Amino acid sequence: MCEANVYLNKGGQEELFMEKVDRIIPGEDQTLFMESIFGERRRVKARITEMELVHHRIIIEEIREDIAEPTLEIWLEPETDHGHFHEGEEVELKLLRGYNMKPANEGEWNSPQVWVINHNGTRKQADLHFHDLIGHIHLGSETDGLLQVYASEMGQQELYAKLLIEVGHRHHHSLEPIGLPLEIVPCDNSHARMGESFQVQVLKAGKPVAGKEVQATFASTNNRNYPHVMTTDEEGKARLFLTARGNYLFTVRDDNITSTFTLIKSF
Amino acid sequence: MCKNMPPLELAIQFHGHVCPGLLFGVRVAEFAQQKLGVDADNDEELLAIVENDSCAVDAIQAILGCTFGKGNLIFRDYGKQVYTIASRESGRAIRIAQIFGSMDSTESKRFRQLKSLTCLSPQEENELEELLSVLFEQIMSKPVNELFKWKEIEMPGVEKAVILPSIECQICGEGVMQSRASTTNRGLVCPTCRLEGGVNYNV
Ligand SMILES: [Zn+2]
Ligand SMILES: [Zn+2]
Repeated sequence: MCEANVYLNKGGQEELFMEKVDRIIPGEDQTLFMESIFGERRRVKARITEMELVHHRIIIEEIREDIAEPTLEIWLEPETDHGHFHEGEEVELKLLRGYNMKPANEGEWNSPQVWVINHNGTRKQADLHFHDLIGHIHLGSETDGLLQVYASEMGQQELYAKLLIEVGHRHHHSLEPIGLPLEIVPCDNSHARMGESFQVQVLKAGKPVAGKEVQATFASTNNRNYPHVMTTDEEGKARLFLTARGNYLFTVRDDNITSTFTLIKSF
Repeated sequence: MCKNMPPLELAIQFHGHVCPGLLFGVRVAEFAQQKLGVDADNDEELLAIVENDSCAVDAIQAILGCTFGKGNLIFRDYGKQVYTIASRESGRAIRIAQIFGSMDSTESKRFRQLKSLTCLSPQEENELEELLSVLFEQIMSKPVNELFKWKEIEMPGVEKAVILPSIECQICGEGVMQSRASTTNRGLVCPTCRLEGGVNYNV
């Protein structure tokens, strides 16, 4: 055997990963360094599962990065995908639990609650019913204006989730924080879009927290971990340039509190 | 379709994916709109002459409404990142040329490298996603004068799209625009039959 083609096993499917490899050097940190006769070099976190020397084939398999058992979070999502609700439209939301916008498929809910604050500050508890571990919230069609919805679940961890929904258009007045122990407040509640910056502020007991890590993600990320990690500035603010379609989730953690904010956007 | 769709969204919807080339095209199209004081083309009001056939051209088509089909998109195969956008209404034209190297960065180099591979490892896929978001911000936030040079130029003399009647090709029987048919000993023949042997050449 002189050189071999390296195939990557992707969920049972073998894909040609690199042609005519003549050097493979296992590195530390479970990586394989490969070099082809064309001088191409690649490093991959994988293990060799099979070598068919007669057929010049080497099959490798990805080594999954161990994400230390992440602390799950809860978050709210709208049932709509166009970034706002129309007047008279049924406002329906989901409450989910998981990590990085990927719902967990096991675990039990510990009597979570959902509250709605309307544009004049009135707070009302919303009905919540569960279906396959996903909470469903129907706010009906009589809602109007800018609503803040939040959910909480108290257990070993205190979990909070927050979301803003706009029913109808033209609501650009400023927003009051709702007073969660740890809260993410959007700095601008006008339509956020892909290709623009978006800023949030982190409040702990109502006060801005500087130097705090804020993570952000979006539903279509390939990454098993949060793709964005920011740190708040002296005003407790962090900025993210939005590069994906659809909704974003911002998450902040402090001791045993995890608080999320879902940014709804159509684009 | 939503009338107020932002230019970036129009471009992505048309092109199907986000890539650095498309984003550069978005910057060119938005700049041209702003400089010429125009909105998307309604009926061949705008004219674009593009000197390449890269992803960026899709942004020109989607945002400025200069499309291949309408005949107000003219392709010159020069392999240059140069775009001439003209408004027939105001008689003004602007030539926009990418500054050589302005789209290059370590991230863009690595992005192209990964893009050229057929099969990516999951780590490389993550890396590609991260690179794309870095490049996205770089391209969309770069000041215009670091991205390209521009100048107002004379209105380029380009004919409006001409449509002539079709005739029947004597070999394949398909219709062909008169001006594209050639006279042969078998009669008027379409370019497919003349150049490539044609659909029914052996018949
Ligand atoms: Zn592209
Ligand atoms: Zn023919």
